[in-house]
Amino acid sequence: MKNAVRALRTTRGLSQADLGTALGVSRQTVNSIETGRYLPSLPLAIAIARFFDQTVEEVFDVDA
Amino acid sequence: MSTHDRCHRSWRHSRWMAPGLSLAIGVAYLAVGLAGGQTTFAWTGFAIMVVFAVALVVSGRYSETAKGLLDHRDERINAHDRDAALLAGGAVIVAVIVMFCIEIARGHDGSPYYQLGALGGLVYLGALLWQRWRR
Repeated sequence: MKNAVRALRTTRGLSQADLGTALGVSRQTVNSIETGRYLPSLPLAIAIARFFDQTVEEVFDVDA
Repeated sequence: MSTHDRCHRSWRHSRWMAPGLSLAIGVAYLAVGLAGGQTTFAWTGFAIMVVFAVALVVSGRYSETAKGLLDHRDERINAHDRDAALLAGGAVIVAVIVMFCIEIARGHDGSPYYQLGALGGLVYLGALLWQRWRR
């Protein structure tokens, strides 16, 4: 599943560590989500979407 | 919304749980070793577990993975921990079944492997029922 986490993060000038701290996860987890190696839980997906003021569907492309 | 369920956080998820358990096991090794007159085992076992506990605490300051394993705040590392524990448990169960079969083939009664196998089976069924009841 593709996602827009990296694009949204870099647009805001955040590092992976910054985003991880904001979400309560490690930098490695942010990296794994961005590269598609780890599919986050529903609570974390919602937290990511809310952090970027987006919907889950806008951040995570279920059709990709 | 939190990315980890604080409602389910407990003493098991304390960052001191794993080092504390390691120290407790070390103290147990020391106590039973001294009680059984095996001084070398007692002090060696105690030292190994103390070193392991200290290594856990120190590595938690430098490694995100070690920190995640200690504080259980990262869902991805929690999943790694859960999957590794599942694999380790499966390996132990396979070993118990293999050893039980070997003991039976040798004409023995299968002790203590049949007790261990029964314990594993009962714990599995209990956990299954508990999970089924909870969600």
